[in-house]
Amino acid sequence: MIYEVFLKKDGRDEYRHAGALEAANDELALVLARESYLRRAEGSRLWLARRDHIIEGGTDFVAPNADKPHRHHDGQAVAAHRKQVREDRS
Amino acid sequence: MTRSWNTMEDFEAFLNDGGIVEVDDAMPEDYRKAVFTFIEMHANSELMGGLTERDWIPKTPGLRHKMSVLAKTQDEIGHGHLLYMVAADMGIKTRTEMLEDLFAGKSRFHNVFHYKAETWGDQVAIAFLVDAAALASQQAVFKNCSYGPYRRILKRIISEEGFHMRLGEDRMMRIANGTDLQRELFQGALDRWFWPSLQLFGPDSKPGDLLLRWHIKSERNEVLRDRWVQKFVPLLQSYGFSVPCPDLTQDEDGRWDVGPIDWEPLKATLAQGGPDSKRRIEQAARNWERTQWVRTAMDELAVPA
Repeated sequence: MIYEVFLKKDGRDEYRHAGALEAANDELALVLARESYLRRAEGSRLWLARRDHIIEGGTDFVAPNADKPHRHHDGQAVAAHRKQVREDRS
Repeated sequence: MTRSWNTMEDFEAFLNDGGIVEVDDAMPEDYRKAVFTFIEMHANSELMGGLTERDWIPKTPGLRHKMSVLAKTQDEIGHGHLLYMVAADMGIKTRTEMLEDLFAGKSRFHNVFHYKAETWGDQVAIAFLVDAAALASQQAVFKNCSYGPYRRILKRIISEEGFHMRLGEDRMMRIANGTDLQRELFQGALDRWFWPSLQLFGPDSKPGDLLLRWHIKSERNEVLRDRWVQKFVPLLQSYGFSVPCPDLTQDEDGRWDVGPIDWEPLKATLAQGGPDSKRRIEQAARNWERTQWVRTAMDELAVPA
């Protein structure tokens, strides 16, 4: 079975995807993950997820949210106003 | 449980050393409760704020503004989702229990959502003043937050709140450059919202404030409040509006002082006795009942075929 490997360093970081590995079962996968991905304490916590358990939203599914300009605001007009105010004061 | 501490002294030493607590750590129960209560109130506030925003979707002037109000409403409800998950993971109340307590009037949410938004000007004032105050508070938590799951979620929330504040100031600038009627509309809203926004920061932090001690808050309430005053008083004036403070003064160094603050209105909102508390909570509770069929349908869908 193939497992995806996620590592987290202590502290503020989130879990990050580090790679994948193949092992016969969960227990062996944990040992293999520790011995191949955490050899020098690259993280202090480890998650494994079976690849066939991962639910993927493909690029086509995600794409519509790249085209929603009303969810953004560049704030340029406001920034120009604030700059003008600062200049007027000094 | 991955980590545990024998005494509160050990735990506090860990926090003072910059330690970050994770959900599966055996954290002291007092810390768990304090952090949970804080996040629950934040979640409730996002939801109640989103519902207010939603009320304005049909009434918002113009398609451009309407689309941005839609985006903002979705953001706020989304923040509620993220935060209720972080809070529920702490194992004190489930998400449903938190929602039911909120709709029964048993939980707190921010003072500003206990007032009525009378006009479009109020919505602009909320997006600018209230969102700026909320953003300043959240940034101060994010800066040094000892509870990892909350800190990571705040990162995302803060970037979206920044979008709301930029929208608010842009709308205000359009009004400031508009007609006398528009300027009067906004001045009226400013008169209603300036003090509640300022009171959002709360009274001066007490010396033994546990949220400060445990690195949830990184700044005292009065420090954040003063910083907001120093920034927003001149900013509002620069758009040609007057700040509704009869005792407003400025010292030789240019620092603004708003004078004494009446905390009674804030206390009233904490006891669900604000000007619009009753209607708001009832309306939210009615929504919850009316949408029961959606939850029932989802539960039926979730049963494996």
